[in-house]
Amino acid sequence: MALHTETPSRASGPQPEQAQDRRGALIQTEALASLLAAIVGERGVLARPSELSAYSSDGLPGYRLRPRLAVFPHTTQQLVDVVRLLARKQCPFVARGAGTGLSAGALARGDAVVVGLNRLNRIISIDPLNRLAVVEPGAVNVTLSRAAGAYGLHYAPDPSSQTACTIGGNVAENSGGPHCLKYGVTLNHVVALKVILPSGEITTLGNADGEAEGYDLLGAFVGSEGCFGIALEVTVRLTPNPQGVRTLLADFTSIDAGARATSAIIAAGILPAALEMMDGPTIRAVEASIYAAGYPADASAVLLIELDGMDEGLDADVQRVEAHCLAAGARTVRIAANEEERTRLWQGRKKAFGAMGRIAPDLVVQDAVIPRTRLPDVLREIAAIAELRQIQVCNVFHAGDGNLHPNIGYDSRNPDESRRVGLAMRDIMQACIDAGGTITGEHGVGLDKLEYMPKIFSPESLAAQCALRDAFDPERRANPGKVVPVHSCREWVGA
Amino acid sequence: MSEPVAVPACAIPGTPLANATAGIMACVHCGFCLQACPTYLALGDENDSPRGRIFLMRSLAEGDLALDDPSVHTHIDRCLGCRACETACPSGVPYGALLEATRATLAQVVKPPLRARLILALFARRGLMRAVVAAARALRATGIPRLLARLPGDLGFAFAMLASSASPLSRARYRSRGTGARGSVSLLRGCVMEGLFAAANRATERTLVANDYTMVPAPNQHCCGALHAHAGDLEGARTLARRNIAAFEAAGAELVVTNAAGCGALLKEYGHLLADDDAWSARAAAFSARARDVSELLAAAGPRVGAPISYRVTYDAPCHLQHAQRVHAEPLVVLDAIPGLERVALVDSDQCCGSAGIYNLLEPALSAAVLAPKIAHIEVTGATLVVTGNPGCLMQIGAALCRAGVPARTVHPVELLDASYAAAARSGR
Amino acid sequence: MGGRVSTVRVQERVREHVARGAPVRIVGRGGWLDGGRPVDDFEPLSLADDRAIVEYVAGDLTLTARAGTTLSDIAAATGAEGQWLALDPFGSRNGTLGATIATGSAGPLAHAFGTPRDTVLGLEVVTGGGEIVRAGGRVVKNVAGFDLTRLFTGAWGTLAVITEATVRLRARPERDETVALLVPADGALGDWLARLRILPFTPLALEMVNSPLSATLGLEPAALLLARLGGNDDAVRAQRQLLGALGDMRDVPASVWSTLATAEPNGASVARVSAPPSRLHAIWPVLSRIDAGSLAHATVGRGVVRSICAPSDDGNGQRWLAAIGTCEGTHIFERLPARAWRTIPCRVDDPISRAVRTAFDPARILNRGILGEVA
Repeated sequence: MALHTETPSRASGPQPEQAQDRRGALIQTEALASLLAAIVGERGVLARPSELSAYSSDGLPGYRLRPRLAVFPHTTQQLVDVVRLLARKQCPFVARGAGTGLSAGALARGDAVVVGLNRLNRIISIDPLNRLAVVEPGAVNVTLSRAAGAYGLHYAPDPSSQTACTIGGNVAENSGGPHCLKYGVTLNHVVALKVILPSGEITTLGNADGEAEGYDLLGAFVGSEGCFGIALEVTVRLTPNPQGVRTLLADFTSIDAGARATSAIIAAGILPAALEMMDGPTIRAVEASIYAAGYPADASAVLLIELDGMDEGLDADVQRVEAHCLAAGARTVRIAANEEERTRLWQGRKKAFGAMGRIAPDLVVQDAVIPRTRLPDVLREIAAIAELRQIQVCNVFHAGDGNLHPNIGYDSRNPDESRRVGLAMRDIMQACIDAGGTITGEHGVGLDKLEYMPKIFSPESLAAQCALRDAFDPERRANPGKVVPVHSCREWVGA
Repeated sequence: MSEPVAVPACAIPGTPLANATAGIMACVHCGFCLQACPTYLALGDENDSPRGRIFLMRSLAEGDLALDDPSVHTHIDRCLGCRACETACPSGVPYGALLEATRATLAQVVKPPLRARLILALFARRGLMRAVVAAARALRATGIPRLLARLPGDLGFAFAMLASSASPLSRARYRSRGTGARGSVSLLRGCVMEGLFAAANRATERTLVANDYTMVPAPNQHCCGALHAHAGDLEGARTLARRNIAAFEAAGAELVVTNAAGCGALLKEYGHLLADDDAWSARAAAFSARARDVSELLAAAGPRVGAPISYRVTYDAPCHLQHAQRVHAEPLVVLDAIPGLERVALVDSDQCCGSAGIYNLLEPALSAAVLAPKIAHIEVTGATLVVTGNPGCLMQIGAALCRAGVPARTVHPVELLDASYAAAARSGR
Repeated sequence: MGGRVSTVRVQERVREHVARGAPVRIVGRGGWLDGGRPVDDFEPLSLADDRAIVEYVAGDLTLTARAGTTLSDIAAATGAEGQWLALDPFGSRNGTLGATIATGSAGPLAHAFGTPRDTVLGLEVVTGGGEIVRAGGRVVKNVAGFDLTRLFTGAWGTLAVITEATVRLRARPERDETVALLVPADGALGDWLARLRILPFTPLALEMVNSPLSATLGLEPAALLLARLGGNDDAVRAQRQLLGALGDMRDVPASVWSTLATAEPNGASVARVSAPPSRLHAIWPVLSRIDAGSLAHATVGRGVVRSICAPSDDGNGQRWLAAIGTCEGTHIFERLPARAWRTIPCRVDDPISRAVRTAFDPARILNRGILGEVA
């Protein structure tokens, strides 16, 4: 820690481990609850264990951590006051939006307070001329697109949870979504952030003028999984609705053929708005749900491909995509005839994760990204792993980006099955890493992927990440224990 | 720092909730239900969301929480039971059934509030109920409720509800004719519908006849039991269900029709309600298979187009039609058969109005919070008639419009179709 | 040469400088050394020889190259596969990948493809503390860990020496054509730009050039809009039609873009003023006519005007600075005479930036002073 003891804030502050031990003693939980209630009102604080259990999970099954308290500011000023109180009391905290994340990232261990941002959900302004919107962190993703729709605009990043997830959560996770293939992820759409640092200081990162100077602290903050502070206001770019949209559904009798079609389309230089793949088990889960989309139930894989842009030229691209699919062995390629059919095809894809709930009581999901030419190999390898471990893998993913989402349904009451699922998850992750991939493309590291971080980053690289965190949060009170394994941070010696 | 979730054996064996754990396990807590839930939107606490309530149910089942835990009761009581979450749920969690099972389980420990019990007792007693609604009708006829509708508080709202139950349309007088070829139908008259919305019941009969159904009376019918089931009084609901099954079997019609979405939802679930009753399960399932909302029958028939009547209207979907029965398009098909209507889309028309059976009487503040955006959206449409097919919604929305001074009234879609047919009869078409 | 060996060599150099407390100036091919603030008493750390494409799988549309690889090296390799790195910073094509990323430089193609921040997928660097750090990865989507890639991109080498980078490539469009339109008079400019912004397609580039710059480019001496159109036959035909409705349109050779990249005279001062695009019509008239000969061009969709002041002794530099000062927006100076820099505020003196600098370059040896920071 030679590096940090030189800076005043670290020199006087306790080391993290000591702090953790001491924090509990700094203030009694009941006393903290009443101080918080003085800011947000009685109904803005949850303290009973029974009521905190709703905040002990996010969208990822398999993890439960009960927070110390949960507090819900109603106004930006209340949020500022809450963060400053927590700073004075040296209390760790975890910001939470809608709790739809899939990395156990919004979970708070017992000494941390959940700061719920869902009530800060206003769309502050929309500037249609410059295609910008300013929103509070708890604004729901799809609500912004609906509001922007009045001007022929939308907010492009569209995670599958977009009907529920918040923009603040999207910023924390640098969320993607099917249409990020063409339009880019959250990072590419956030132009400015007004944030409160864990110390209670307020600062603005980036600006709405088109470009900013200095270090790209905005870029560093986006995707920092709540470890750098809390966004008070988010300024995002809005995207014009495309003039024309063509949605294709290609079905295949083997996963391999679908993967080959994907690689061929990307390699041919066609940039679809989205290129999604679902395998047979996923198709059948979706078709059994209320979001049945009319996917052929006997297919081994379907590709959902969307092309958009100006009407002219679109059909030529459609024909090329169709030809690539057929050449790779597609049985049929059908084009959605109208908006209703298009919506139905997309609903099936977007609700696929939830639909897995029908297959088994518990569910794990991964988020690895691999080079797109490796899709056929890696999907074959995943199938072999499933076979070896005797488990059922459902693949539903952003094929165009090479972003895999193998879902494994199981029953945690069965210890042997749980063990096999655990082994398979590690095997699959290793296969993706070996293919030159990364461990997470859009869900974030959170708690769930901590163990894999040392597999893709050297100790020095992990320590450098910790050093970046420390520039924002030297006390490491914001979402403690996430993203970078704690021991890595101790190894950073800098100079 | 995190433990895998292990599921212990059920801590409350033999309770209705214990039998529903499979439904609880279907929830993968993806959170897609949050924005569909009116109480979550109003309160901003996940404990008042479907996902949070399922956590509470799971905690009860696993023994982490006691059945008398006050926060469990608070959040379960606050649920409207609108079941919008079921429409949003990709995992197919049977939330409505889970809620009823939970309420029934909790009711074993803590009795529902006195106000609720009195209301349920009233609905279960046919004669008494008739007397009460007759009195209410008489009061309504005096015009006093409309004058007192602006009184502050619950009392004023109650008067407004009563006032708004009067039909906004002039009474239709025409003779309805049809071939009867579409089959025989018996109408579940419904306690509130027959008591306060008799005009809609008559309109239902006339429009069905005009669309070639044969009406068959079903005497000895009772309250459907929906309010009892929602409140956790499953036994009370089952008693009423058995009586109704017997009554409609005796009537002998091919189909059972209702124009009250809340009643219809339960009629279609009698099979589920009596599934464990060996003597009745088959009869109940057969009954449910024959139950229809009036809009389904009319839509199946075409329906016959009437004469133009000119109103600016907007449609609000009752939760128990939209989410519980999944009947979406049919009421709009009914409106399509009425020339001259100016139709305006209502933002969030699939969101609950906060009526939810007797919820508005038990949780008035939260009910009002859920209702407020609905009224704001209606005002934007500029409609003079808000069309919806459930008595609770008709009165809840009607009362709020009346108190807010919005120049719009509520009306059942079938009454509008009936008015169109009456106009056709007058013009000799 | 290249790869691990040269990274370790950079590491050794940095560590040696840390030990001596002697600052270094990171140098690619030396083409842009007059960019940024003057860096005093430095020894050069050259990466020019570390020039190799490490991995290029065309089907992945990603490329990994050593920092000293030139943009023209990359263009040659990717062009053979019908692909390109869609970054066209101002200056010679012999500029290096490392320098482009370190300075966050972009050109007209930023209109459609963004800046290096949107294109860089992963970096290998040697920090000012002498550690070899890898950030990001080689895949197109990656949220693993805190985003050092964005931090090092555009940091002007003050945090780390970039030794290797992985970038996203794009497929070259089937057709790539450039047309020019006459820019209307000031009074009509606002409406005209608004109509441009709502075109239902995104041109590859949409750059307004003022009349002296047009002349420099060998075009008619009038304010022109250069539009680079890409797509398949049908798409480009339709794009031409839509653009043609906005004014008198003519074809322009594609070479206009490389001429534009190197249009500014040696020793010129260069600044960018950026503002929300809806205000471009207010800024453009000021910056496009500061002097009879001052050059200016603007990336229409991003609202960025780049203004070039030729070197002279008649005090035009003062007039130029004053004119820029009257424009509301973010002012970024690329090149200035040494003495003029003193008046320009430093953008990295906020507490977080200072903490970042201290964490990654504790001895303050990398490109010291280039961002105006106080040592």
